[in-house]
Amino acid sequence: MSVINFEFRNQVLKHNASLSYCYQCSTCSGGCPVALITEGRYNPRKIIEEAILGLQEKLINEQDPNPWLCSTCQTCVELCPQKVELTEIFTLIKNKCFEAGKYPAAFSVQGQAVLENGIAIPYSKAILTRREKLGLPTITTAPVDEIKTILKETNFEKNILKGGK
Amino acid sequence: MAYDLFLGCVIPARLPFLEASSRKVFEKLGIELHDVDGFSCCPDPTGIEQIDHNTWLALGARNLSLSSNGGIISFCSGCVETLKGVNYCINKDQEVKKEVNKVLKKVKKNYDGSTKVLHFAEVLYENLDKVRENVVKPLSGFRVAVHYGCHYLRPSEIIEWDDPFEPTTIDTIVKALGAETVEYELKLECCGNPVEKSDSELSLMMINNKLQDIQKAEANCVALVCPACYQQFDFNQRELNKQNNTNYDLPIFYLSELAALAFGYEPAELGLNFHRVRPNALFEEVGF
Repeated sequence: MSVINFEFRNQVLKHNASLSYCYQCSTCSGGCPVALITEGRYNPRKIIEEAILGLQEKLINEQDPNPWLCSTCQTCVELCPQKVELTEIFTLIKNKCFEAGKYPAAFSVQGQAVLENGIAIPYSKAILTRREKLGLPTITTAPVDEIKTILKETNFEKNILKGGK
Repeated sequence: MAYDLFLGCVIPARLPFLEASSRKVFEKLGIELHDVDGFSCCPDPTGIEQIDHNTWLALGARNLSLSSNGGIISFCSGCVETLKGVNYCINKDQEVKKEVNKVLKKVKKNYDGSTKVLHFAEVLYENLDKVRENVVKPLSGFRVAVHYGCHYLRPSEIIEWDDPFEPTTIDTIVKALGAETVEYELKLECCGNPVEKSDSELSLMMINNKLQDIQKAEANCVALVCPACYQQFDFNQRELNKQNNTNYDLPIFYLSELAALAFGYEPAELGLNFHRVRPNALFEEVGF
């Protein structure tokens, strides 16, 4: 059984007050390219409903519906007649899943690459050769220490090193 | 006219040929692009932002703080969405700006929220006359299905460019290059790339639906402006053909590649041979 967690609900509202304007019309789900083809596995209206009710267990632990299936296409945000900022709310929910270590491993791979290199895709030898052949300049990316300092400060380093599910 | 160039990660480190054509096009148009030392990942709005919004804000603001010229141009819709989005968050809420700068202070940086961010296609559109003047080899016979991609358009409140559901800018540029554009039903639909990280089967289903629709509309190539969309369209056709007995063989062009071809550059100097779906058959078909 789902239990309403008022504290969780208030955390979402504090982050994004637009949540409370949702009147569950389902315009978001009707326009969602993922909801249309996933037979109930993904449903933006339902995630918003669970957020309004503060169903932390459903949202973070069970992930039902699965917030990671959002393609971030922003169609729902554009369509919402109540101007609910759905994608921002989904991002907050996913951020909380991340803190709890419940997120797809591919995000962890990207996050660790940024932590170690400052960029998401390190330059391989083959690519450097290809760049030279194409007449492209050498790129000087961010100092890794500087990026690490920022990632420590935001707790990203600590969370990413815990890994995903 | 001069701007700082923000390259991001995917284009320079995986698809450098897209960078090559883009740089050539800007050079031809006489728009100077400065390379800036020290940019990090933008960070990815479909990756890092989804796991840690505050880290996304801090790294994005750090990148924006490094620009000293007339603003930033990026060849990538993801980078543009991030950089415009970070600007939006910081300028909307003084509290957010304070928090972000508290983090940046640790690395002796500060961001005031004033760096202008532009997508390269915005700049091409704003310089349409110059684009037309430089066409020496019109793309006759190219029937182009334009794929705008989500982050080029939405959220419109942040992107502030074109129309979120009835976009026209890229079609206009493609037509200015002498090609024809083809309408198709799923034109505005997401390519599916962002969900690849959580459900690759779903991601493939989304691109399959688009490709099917484009094939039905009898386009002979696709034009797009985002490296994530590019990979989704170009890298998956072979796999889909294997899985579903389809016969996709649709060349995928970056808008800059089409412009560079129309400006007279040779396919080889643009690195078109690095595409998974080679455009040779199309060139032959249309006598290009």
